[in-house]
Amino acid sequence: MKRFDCLKALAAVAGDALVVSSAGAMTLEWNALHPSDSNFRVRTLGLCSSIALGMALGLPRRKVIALDGDGSLLMNLNSLATIARMQPNNLTHIVFDNEVYEASGSKKTATGTGTDLVGVARAAGIKNSLWANSGEAFALAVTSAMKGGELCFIGAKVSTERTQVPPFPIDEVENKYRFIRHIEKTEQIEIFKTNLPASYV
Amino acid sequence: MGLKGAGINLIATLPDVNLADLLREVEEDRDLTHVPLCREEEGIGICAGAYLVGKKCAAIMQNGGFFNSNNAIVSTLLQYQIPLLLLIYYAGDIGDRTFGTTGSMTEPVLQALGIRYYIMRDIDDAPELIKRAQVLTEDAKRPVALLVTKEVLGRRAALKSL
Repeated sequence: MKRFDCLKALAAVAGDALVVSSAGAMTLEWNALHPSDSNFRVRTLGLCSSIALGMALGLPRRKVIALDGDGSLLMNLNSLATIARMQPNNLTHIVFDNEVYEASGSKKTATGTGTDLVGVARAAGIKNSLWANSGEAFALAVTSAMKGGELCFIGAKVSTERTQVPPFPIDEVENKYRFIRHIEKTEQIEIFKTNLPASYV
Repeated sequence: MGLKGAGINLIATLPDVNLADLLREVEEDRDLTHVPLCREEEGIGICAGAYLVGKKCAAIMQNGGFFNSNNAIVSTLLQYQIPLLLLIYYAGDIGDRTFGTTGSMTEPVLQALGIRYYIMRDIDDAPELIKRAQVLTEDAKRPVALLVTKEVLGRRAALKSL
């Protein structure tokens, strides 16, 4: 399977979900397909699933999607246990497993020698964990995840093939501000509070 | 509770024996979202994510857990300018047995990261100190640490002030 084709299928059903993606080519591909201020790019390897969990707990009525990689998740396997413990029913955790540290010189990860991330997720306590073994199966899995109200973990084995896409257009701080302004607007809440200068009080 | 008084509504924690009574308070409080962690670094991510959607967060851990969290603190909190109140049990502080090496590295590492920190030695200071630290972290958009010593956590009856 090609990651770009899976992302296309996801873009068709993602709606207004918040999408947290692990740094690397995947983020660029996703942003090219689905440019939005609801996209948050993660820079700390491994932290994608945890940041997505925080968002899912903070906004329990909003769909949150984590776009993770095998190298990233392997660095934070314990996040699966914490996600299972908290059981956020609005979180969909997707892992594109290409069996290499793609952004770090393409060395083999532990999934390349047999570690089964869907098996790990299920054993950690995420009951609805499955491998999507074809493009059709992936499209079906994400469609049902977006419609349903259940925590789920979807693994997809993908090739290392990259698609030519533009760079991520903004830096981390701008990403933060745009994302928060998007939340304020769409959830009608105030996150940044500003105060009048002391001379006014 | 001092943390609630400062507006905190999501708390990520990892136990230390000296934090046990405080964590029981957190756990039993129905107004708080409590996230028990497996490793402290994931807590930095969880709090960052919750902040981005409007929560006010604190992370409670031992100083060894603060060391575990450093990559996330640097490349998520500092890089994106995200505030977070860190309530850190100061193991290996003066008079505290067992973690002397961890204690000796705690303040130098906080200083190296440019994280402002305050040491709480009297439980009666807790509500005011927590409130002020929360104002500072929100205003500076950087994490702020409160180092909580054994003499504070040891006064069990007074722990509701935290």
